[in-house]
This record gives sequence, C-alpha cells and structure tokens, in this order.
Amino acid sequence: MSAIDDVAAELARLPGIGKKTATRLTYFLLKQPRSALERLAEAITALGTRVAACSVCGNWSDADPCGICADARRDAGLVCVVEEASDIAAIERSGEYRGVYHVLGGHVSPLDGIGPEDLRIDPLRARVANGGAVREVILATNASLEGEVTATYVRGVLEPHGVKVSRIALGLPVGGDLEYADGLTIARALAARREMGS
Amino acid sequence: MPLVTTPAIILHAFKYSDTSKIVRLATREYGVQSAIAKGASRPKSRFGASLQVLSQGTAHLYFRPTAELQTLSAFDVAEQHPALAHDLGRYAAASALAELMLRCAPSEPHLALFDFVGAQLDHLATVPPQRVATAALAGLWAMVTALGFAPTVSACVRDGRALDEGAVGFSVPDGGFLCARCTRERTTTVLEGPDRRALEQLLAGSDELPAGWTSRHAAAHRRLLARFIEHHLAEGHPLKALAFWETAAWNGTS
Ligand SMILES: [Zn+2]
Ligand SMILES: [Zn+2]
Repeated sequence: MSAIDDVAAELARLPGIGKKTATRLTYFLLKQPRSALERLAEAITALGTRVAACSVCGNWSDADPCGICADARRDAGLVCVVEEASDIAAIERSGEYRGVYHVLGGHVSPLDGIGPEDLRIDPLRARVANGGAVREVILATNASLEGEVTATYVRGVLEPHGVKVSRIALGLPVGGDLEYADGLTIARALAARREMGS
Repeated sequence: MPLVTTPAIILHAFKYSDTSKIVRLATREYGVQSAIAKGASRPKSRFGASLQVLSQGTAHLYFRPTAELQTLSAFDVAEQHPALAHDLGRYAAASALAELMLRCAPSEPHLALFDFVGAQLDHLATVPPQRVATAALAGLWAMVTALGFAPTVSACVRDGRALDEGAVGFSVPDGGFLCARCTRERTTTVLEGPDRRALEQLLAGSDELPAGWTSRHAAAHRRLLARFIEHHLAEGHPLKALAFWETAAWNGTS
C-alpha cells in the first residue's frame, strides 16, 4: 500500500469518517507544509505516550492526578459519577459544577458481557471508604435502562458507607446520553438531583 | 421497499458509526430482525430516547424479506419497563430472556413466542421482590419449553421407565429425569426430593417460593438451567447475559 492509501485507511477508521472523507482529508494533508504534518503526527503520538487515565478519577489527562483532581478550589467532598470520560466535558460545559468526578468506563450490559466487575466501581468504593472525605456522590450515568441499572448497582455498593447518594435528574427527552445534553440542561439536572432511596 | 408496521421488542441496541444505531428486534410478524436506525446517535434525533433495550412498542420498518439488515424508520414506545432497572435480578433475568430470543429463536415469525416474551418482561418488572429469582427461573424454563426443548420429567428420559418418588437423577445431556437404574449408570446431578419438587413447580410455570427455598437453592437451579440451555440451545455460542444472570455477580444472595 502507498503512503496515501495508508493514511486514508487509518483516517477511515475514525468515527463519522467514510472512505470518501478520508481520501479528501489525505489530499488536504498532502498540500500542508512538512512542519504542519510533523506537528500533527507528534500531537497524535503524544496521545499514546503522555495521556493516561487519572489514578484518582479515571479521566484522561497529561498529569496524574488530573487537573480537576489537583485543583484545590474544587470540592473534593462532592463526587460526580459518569459513564465515560467524555461525559466530564459535557458537565464542565454547564459551568455549574465545582466538585470532582469518577469515571466508571461504561455501564452494566449483560448482553455485551459487561458486568459491575468490569467497571471502575471498586476504586469508587475505595474513594468513599477512605477517611470519609466524600460527603455526596452524584450518579450521572445516562438516563437509559443500562445507565439506571448501573446507578442502582453503585448505590447498593455505596450504601454501607453511609455517604449521601443522589441521582441526576436528567430526563429521557435528550436521548438519555449525557454527552448530547446542552450545558443548561445539565445545570438544571444537577440542581434538581434527588437522593436515591433503597 | 415497503414500509411495514409491527409490534416489536428491542432485544439489543448498539452504536453503529458516529451517528447511527443498530437494533435487534423481536417482531411479532417478521420474526427476529436487525435494523439500522439512521441518525439515532445524533443529539436531536427523531428517535429521541425510544431505542432502549427491552422496550416494547411498534416498529416501522422498510422491510425486504431477503435483507440481512432492515431500515428502521420509527419506533413508537409503548412500555420501557423502568422498574427493571431498579433491581439487578430483574434486569439480569430480562436480559437473559432477550438473549435467548435473539440467539435461539427460529428465524421465521413465532407469534406465541413473541407474546410470551412480552408478557415475561411485564411480569419480571412487576413481580414482588422476594419472587424475582423464582419468576426468572420459571420464565426461562418456559422459554426453553416454548423453543421446543422442554426437559422430560414425567418418566425416565432414556428408557421411559416410571420414576420413583423422592430423589431423582437429572441428566443435562439426555434432557431430563432418569430412573434409578439409569441414575446408577450415568454420572448425573441428583435432585433431592425438595429440589425435584421445586423444579417440577418451576416447570409448571409457578413462581411461588418452594418449601425451604434459600438463595443456595436458587443458585443451584440457576446453574442447572444454564447448563441445560448451553447444552441444548446455545450451539456453542457464548450466552453472556445468561452467564451474568447465572452467577448473580451483583450480590450472590438472590
Ligand atoms: Zn482525576
Ligand atoms: Zn431409565
């Protein structure tokens, strides 16, 4: 395969990029100065070499702990639990949340063979059990059946630790996925969160 | 391609590309079908939140009998069963049932099976908490029976001899109870009297708690049913939701 085919094939593997777009992007890159191509290549390489999951919250970051966990102005007693790291960006967009996060890495999905043990639930339990610094855990998993059942499970795990557990009041109209909700919707959903009963 | 409308249950849904979803549907009139919902992963999709696993409703499909992948034009939700998500036992059992329909149902339409699965989802969502485990067992055994693999429990499955009262052998490969002589000859699970009666009760479709029923009994019955399904229905395919339900990894007690 030629270098052009190689690049087009790699680009075509990206979400939302078909063969045609991949070819167009490749020819666009061909017209760029060599320095621009090197910057792009280095930036992409750095994703693999410098970025890793934050050992505290699971967010992707250059630093460990990540910028959010390390920020002393944020409220470490308030932990918002999300399915994916990309959901953090959605909540940050709301500009209303001053606590920290915990990324589960997905949701319970029996048909896909994903059980609670495949998610970062034990690290969450450890965070909550560790010294009682956490006052409240907000479960912001998606408003889908899988997101709800995951929230149910996490609540059960945290219950013995006596921490307040609340559920974000995100309605299904947005499609259930946090990443699609706009900042205002998320701000409202956070404000209207409800304590989860047993 | 004609647009058809049929009652349907969403058995599985997953993202396909950045913008679309693929749903696996049990349909009343066209059997189990895969369909692409174009644009369903877009923020303001006309599908909204309608494409939830285990939802029941009406599917509008551009349908071609020979196509592997149909096109879903819309899905009108009638019931999303939110109660299933408030209890992992209910959710796991409903998922295992959906998986059986997805992997083991005949390709041609099967009206009774479709109606049965719908009724079972309703039942699992509403049965009292203490009966979730038995309702799941009874429901999955009924599904096995509806698929044509009912175990033989009225006589010895190997030679038709009458069965003694009390303890009895159960052979998964043979597919049912064994008489005393066959039990001696085969390596087999022996069901003591109460466990035998519990199994007979579950096979009769009852989710009443059998006498002396504990979480240990529930676990043993889940194991037996899972082995039976793996041997007779799975054809070597891993059944992930069934395994999830069997191990009850979420608590180990129910
Ligand atoms: Zn962090
Ligand atoms: Zn016999």
